[in-house]
Amino acid sequence: MQSESLVSAYAPPFKIVLKYFIAAILSFSILNLLLILNYRYISGFHFQPKILALTHIATLGWITMIIFGAMFQLVPVVLEVKLFSEKLAEIQFWIFLIGIIGLVTGFWNFDTGIHLTASAIILNIAILIFSFNIIVTMTRVKKWNLTGLYLAAAIFYLITTAVAGLLLSINLGYPFIRISHLQYLNLHAHIAFIGWVSMVIMGVSFKLIPMFTLSHGYSTVSGKIAFGLINAGLLGISTVMHYEDLTIYFYISVLLIVAGIFSFLFQMYVIFKKRLRKKSDIGIKFSKTAYILLGITTAFGSLLTFTNISNKMNVTLVYGYLIIFGYISMLIVGQMYKIVPFLVWYHKYSSKVGIETVPMLKDMFKEKPAYAGYYFMVSALVGVIFSLAFQIPSGLLISFGVMFIGSLIFLFNFSYILIKA
Amino acid sequence: MITKTMKISKMLKDYPQTIDILLKTSPHFSKLKNKILRKALAARVNVEQAAAIAGVDLSALLYRLNKSVNPIAESQIVSANIKKEKNIMEENDFNFINNLNPDKIILLDVRPIINTGKDPFLEIMSTVKALKEDDIFLLINSFEPIPLYSVMGKKGFDYKIIKEEEVYKIYFFKNNVPASSTGENTENGLTSAQIPHNYENIIEIDVRELTPPEPMVKVLEALSKVDYKTVLVVHHHREPLMLYPKLEERGYKAISNKINDNYFKVIIMKKMDKA
Repeated sequence: MQSESLVSAYAPPFKIVLKYFIAAILSFSILNLLLILNYRYISGFHFQPKILALTHIATLGWITMIIFGAMFQLVPVVLEVKLFSEKLAEIQFWIFLIGIIGLVTGFWNFDTGIHLTASAIILNIAILIFSFNIIVTMTRVKKWNLTGLYLAAAIFYLITTAVAGLLLSINLGYPFIRISHLQYLNLHAHIAFIGWVSMVIMGVSFKLIPMFTLSHGYSTVSGKIAFGLINAGLLGISTVMHYEDLTIYFYISVLLIVAGIFSFLFQMYVIFKKRLRKKSDIGIKFSKTAYILLGITTAFGSLLTFTNISNKMNVTLVYGYLIIFGYISMLIVGQMYKIVPFLVWYHKYSSKVGIETVPMLKDMFKEKPAYAGYYFMVSALVGVIFSLAFQIPSGLLISFGVMFIGSLIFLFNFSYILIKA
Repeated sequence: MITKTMKISKMLKDYPQTIDILLKTSPHFSKLKNKILRKALAARVNVEQAAAIAGVDLSALLYRLNKSVNPIAESQIVSANIKKEKNIMEENDFNFINNLNPDKIILLDVRPIINTGKDPFLEIMSTVKALKEDDIFLLINSFEPIPLYSVMGKKGFDYKIIKEEEVYKIYFFKNNVPASSTGENTENGLTSAQIPHNYENIIEIDVRELTPPEPMVKVLEALSKVDYKTVLVVHHHREPLMLYPKLEERGYKAISNKINDNYFKVIIMKKMDKA
């Protein structure tokens, strides 16, 4: 059996990981603030400069940034191998940050051409450095496990997403892609969310949820089935969507992905059912909500594929908001409430236990505001979807405001933990 | 249905009535009445080994146990021909033992430990760890410690038994072809040759229902109570790899004994100061 912990002798220095976490959590608050200031743009067709800019703050600044940090911590611990290069992890951060700022400002002003393409190239460099670092690390793994497989697959899709993104950015200035730009964008987005982000989330969930809930002795069959189905489906859509006409194979591939995601959710249900620790906490509460939202989002996504509701006003925006602020953000916030206090506590206090008085883990942050943050985020999510669906601009503004408060509470608690570090 | 490979602990948990059958079968099983010993011993021994320890016929024991669980059912027990590998000494082996250098024999009589209701496993492992390459380990017990044979086998020990009345003398010695370690037992930091055998107190804590870092906190907090006469037994749901260096720093050492995938018994004791 492999070590069941968030830390081990293999883990890199905490300050490297922390840098990514801080950048990500700041991005989340900035993102929500920008949504308030620009709420008038969040309506109608999704392919517009402000929405593209904001989406990339979310996907790169918030989501991918935090995944990078988490993977630098977890890949060595879960796969019992030392990170190939801590130096590269350090350098990559700055390149990535510059790339994000370039890309987001490029979209914001719709400065296609050299500005956007150069930023996309910088991002690709950062992502290739990351992938290289992780792949070399993975070649040294002696004992593979399910989490490792998911993470390895995720790297493949990360590279695919980045390259596709670069091609899209070039295509905006010098059109060359034969199929419709929007279809290719659709592929880029789905490979990103399902292949990169969700693969990481799933793989990490198999490891962390049992650890946090003390669940063991369950079957992992559904998790393995999910892996096969989702990968088959992703390879399917990646092939089919390169052609003008979507054939029956497209719909089969989508069904495979949907089945795979529900298979993953069933695996999570099995893990939760076998848990020894019945008491929930803020991290688990966020995570559970995230898994439910993943189910809802997946059902909604298949509705978009198999019906023509996507012609309705704002439907794509609802879908995007559900993915980013529903399922993914809820899960990230939940897992961060478990991971960060533990890591800080471990590095700062674990050597002093029993020798002097040290704070308990639950004293590392304020739990009451955290719960308030949960309810802010959930009601903002419902509010945004409702306001988009029924086109109520004032409702949208208020909901964005509520989400901003939710993100500030998270930022506050995060800073509160770090002050102790 | 009870099978020969079922652990005694599981049997007693699932079918509490079987304790009476065991007690009636052999006085050897009276140790199971003691709660600590039951916890310690019953988890390591299956029915087959228990029959061998008590010196009773396995198929008869299985028949009686299953009958107590389900008296109506047709007994499905196939009269098993148990190949009991007896290593009882032959005449010329006595000469071999008599020729041994008495200085090389390390003796450990675990009967007093058993009689006070404690688990001798820790003492045995400590003694074994302290053995020099050519030492002979003589274990004296009131019954055959059958599960120990495989543990010792993995460490490269062979054994011979001399039975005198109700006393078993088991000689363990290096057979020079150590089987590869399976990783089932892990020792950490056991380098000192001076390990006392006279622990008087056992503190037990169960951290299996605590999430990280609570198990580590509980163990480290309990350390202040662990002295040269006290050992700390931790019931853990995994092997606490991150705990070992922390124990080492503070002058303690640990032996982790894997019971099953989700249950490790970690025994922690204070290191002797090297004088």
